[in-house]
Amino acid sequence: MVQAVAVRDFLIAFKEIMRGSKKYYAWLAFLSFLILLGLSAYIDQLNRGLITTAMRDQVSWGMYISNFTFLVGVAAAAVYLIIPAYVYKFKPIKEVALFGELLAITAITMCILFIIVDMGQPFRVWHILPVIGAMNFPSSLLAWDVIVLNGYLTVNIIIVFYVLYRISHGKEYLPSIWPLIILSIPMAVSIHTVTAFLYNGLPARPFWNASIVAPRFIASAFCSGPALMLIIFQIVRKIWKLDIENRAIFKIAELVAYAMAINLFLLGAEVFKEFYSGTIHVYPIKYLYFGLHGHANLVPWIWTATVLNIIAFILLLLPKTRENFLTLNMGCVFLIMGVYIEKGMGLVIPGFVPDTLGEIYEYIPTMQEIVVTVGIWAAGALMYTLLLKFTIPVYTGKVRFWKKALVASDAMSRKLVTVTPDTTVDEIGKILISKHISGLPVVDRDNRVIGVISESDIIYSEIQRDPHFVEKLGDLILPKEKRGEKLGNTAKDIMTSPAVTAFENTPLEELIKTITEKKIKRIVIVDKEGHPVGMVSRIDIVRELEKKENKHLVS
Amino acid sequence: MSKIRSNPLGVKLDRRTFLKGAALGLAGTALPLNKADASFWEAFFQKHFREMNDDEKKKVIQRLEKEYEQKYKKAIHIGSEKPMPGVLFGYGLDLSRCIGCRRCVYACVEENNQSIDPQVQWITVLRFKKGEKWIDLEESEKYYNPEQVPESGHFYMPVQCQQCENPPCVRACPTQATWKEPDGIVVVDYNWCIGCRYCMAACPYGARRFNWGEPKRPAEKINPNTHYLGNRPRYKGVVEKCTFCVQRTRNGRYPACVEICPVGARKFGNLLDPQSEIRYAIEHKRVFRLKEDLNTNPKFYYFFAYGR
Repeated sequence: MVQAVAVRDFLIAFKEIMRGSKKYYAWLAFLSFLILLGLSAYIDQLNRGLITTAMRDQVSWGMYISNFTFLVGVAAAAVYLIIPAYVYKFKPIKEVALFGELLAITAITMCILFIIVDMGQPFRVWHILPVIGAMNFPSSLLAWDVIVLNGYLTVNIIIVFYVLYRISHGKEYLPSIWPLIILSIPMAVSIHTVTAFLYNGLPARPFWNASIVAPRFIASAFCSGPALMLIIFQIVRKIWKLDIENRAIFKIAELVAYAMAINLFLLGAEVFKEFYSGTIHVYPIKYLYFGLHGHANLVPWIWTATVLNIIAFILLLLPKTRENFLTLNMGCVFLIMGVYIEKGMGLVIPGFVPDTLGEIYEYIPTMQEIVVTVGIWAAGALMYTLLLKFTIPVYTGKVRFWKKALVASDAMSRKLVTVTPDTTVDEIGKILISKHISGLPVVDRDNRVIGVISESDIIYSEIQRDPHFVEKLGDLILPKEKRGEKLGNTAKDIMTSPAVTAFENTPLEELIKTITEKKIKRIVIVDKEGHPVGMVSRIDIVRELEKKENKHLVS
Repeated sequence: MSKIRSNPLGVKLDRRTFLKGAALGLAGTALPLNKADASFWEAFFQKHFREMNDDEKKKVIQRLEKEYEQKYKKAIHIGSEKPMPGVLFGYGLDLSRCIGCRRCVYACVEENNQSIDPQVQWITVLRFKKGEKWIDLEESEKYYNPEQVPESGHFYMPVQCQQCENPPCVRACPTQATWKEPDGIVVVDYNWCIGCRYCMAACPYGARRFNWGEPKRPAEKINPNTHYLGNRPRYKGVVEKCTFCVQRTRNGRYPACVEICPVGARKFGNLLDPQSEIRYAIEHKRVFRLKEDLNTNPKFYYFFAYGR
């Protein structure tokens, strides 16, 4: 039973994912194409080894690990939204924090993919697990990273699914999930700190072996993730017509500007220390910013990043440019590009150049590396699209799971007029006309339903008073067997009795069945004592079924 | 419930065969050596070397020997000699003697079955200009290629694994695939390494090598006397390094680089033995170790012998 419900809900969700415009399908097809390209490049890499990349012993990590590092930062987006949303109860952001959490899930998944494609022996990945493998914990920072990244992923998945589950039930979600949301804040900080320590903890690499790396990671993460979110919000708002307040967007942009200020300051502090002290540790940063012995591959990139970051900072800082969507988006895009370069290749490559024995190997990623990287980004985009496609209808209330089937009370009209058995036919006709209704129940002295009168009952009654009509219209309007019935001047004479009744919780499906089988037009809904509470007529059912979101609920 | 499932061709597959087939199809390209037989799973689920008992080690080594024999069409012996008690290996290198001839580099390649294509070498010889900043590695030249060595105005410094007592690579490895043996040699289990290369980022001496492609070495050039933790043929996607020729030194021989050195610049011995040559060098020469400020505590001592 439970499985059946779960399967049904899965199918509902799946339908939601499959439904979409031509543009949507084109987007999915485009991403799938990129994924397939990436996959084929990766299969070739599996066959021939990492020699298909430009990495070598001198520069033993490259584009994959750079993307990994950047994406760990993106995963922070969630927390930068959670803090104002839940902790400071800034409502406009609270409403969109869910999308940040989805982004975190996607970013961490991409991180895992980038690690897998960087591994020389990906099928041995289980060696890194505790118990079945030989996880080198607590000694290896990479083991720590496995723990915090998977922990953060798990916490976010639990939060998102719990929140969606509650929303789909129309229930409040915060109180019980609150501890996990609070927990996710230090966890987000931890994934950055641990990833920074991964580099920071290597005395062999002076460029990384600086305690400013972890604060810089967190500062730059709090820029790039939310900046990406801002762009996503606008897309979501446009495509799904979702109500995301400008106030939320501007507030986040303001926070991003402050984070960027800190990021630039920390970077400046590092640049000063290295260049001013001018020890042999200056070589990597010299290589990065000015080139070394004529090798200057990274120089144009890092200066582009620096300029982009500064422009982005100014655009997001000044209220005038921040609250203009053109300049706001420019700022966000510049910032994402700037941080992608600075925290990706700009951080990883100089760690290896010059290498530990002073050799300069200039790393330029191969086409295959780039194709694999693009493939993973496409996989991330696909994952996020599908997550949104599934989440937004639940979030906006368009899709409700686990709701019991529609019942009489959902469809019934409560506009109820009753008459007594002694009410005259004339009076009843006047009531029907003045109230714009087509029928009504007849109740006894205890307000219990004893019959129903419809328009046709009155017609029969009226026709039979004039034999001329009966003659002329004959069977067309009044079947022979019915002639002689429904003659009289009061309700009790013409009503159909006993009335067909149902209770408020009778499933709509049953009502439909009764109406079609008995060829009647309305059912009186009564409470347990038999007192009328409403009527369900054919048009009421039609009206309820026409509501789009109910279509799947009636088989 | 029956685990037998039939397919449209009428061939009956039990679940295990079915899963195995599926996994083989998936994994076939990436796992080393024979995919088709049972050894595929034995290789896949092979335990960490240090977690195996002697019996299990014997079985694994038998399997590997068989695999190597199939691959190279010749018998290859894989030893698993344990460290000798009371031995801590140490290395000395006399910089005033080294002429930069790179014979040690090539002898090492021959002895330790390094890949020829792509080229893998465990020893790097650096050339420095005399009279300039001493041991500013950034000023060193690795690809020097003169008509004749030694060149005037230059001196040479070979670098290989320094066999640190406090090895940053071992600390970094997320799977414990590399560790320091009781006799001080840092080794790698090539069947346990996942190829993440964190150890390479961690090594201050550029001593670790990664098999970026399938290592290739003609069968006639394979040295058949190997050690599980040393010079047995490696796989693509794993890290390797100098092991002080563990296959030789645990059997009382000198490392190949020590033997080949034409000028006797290389010294080797037991640091725990007061009578050893290496102890003599440490006690009587002005020794230093590379990047001492990193506190890695290498067992590789550079020194200048008196008089040259």
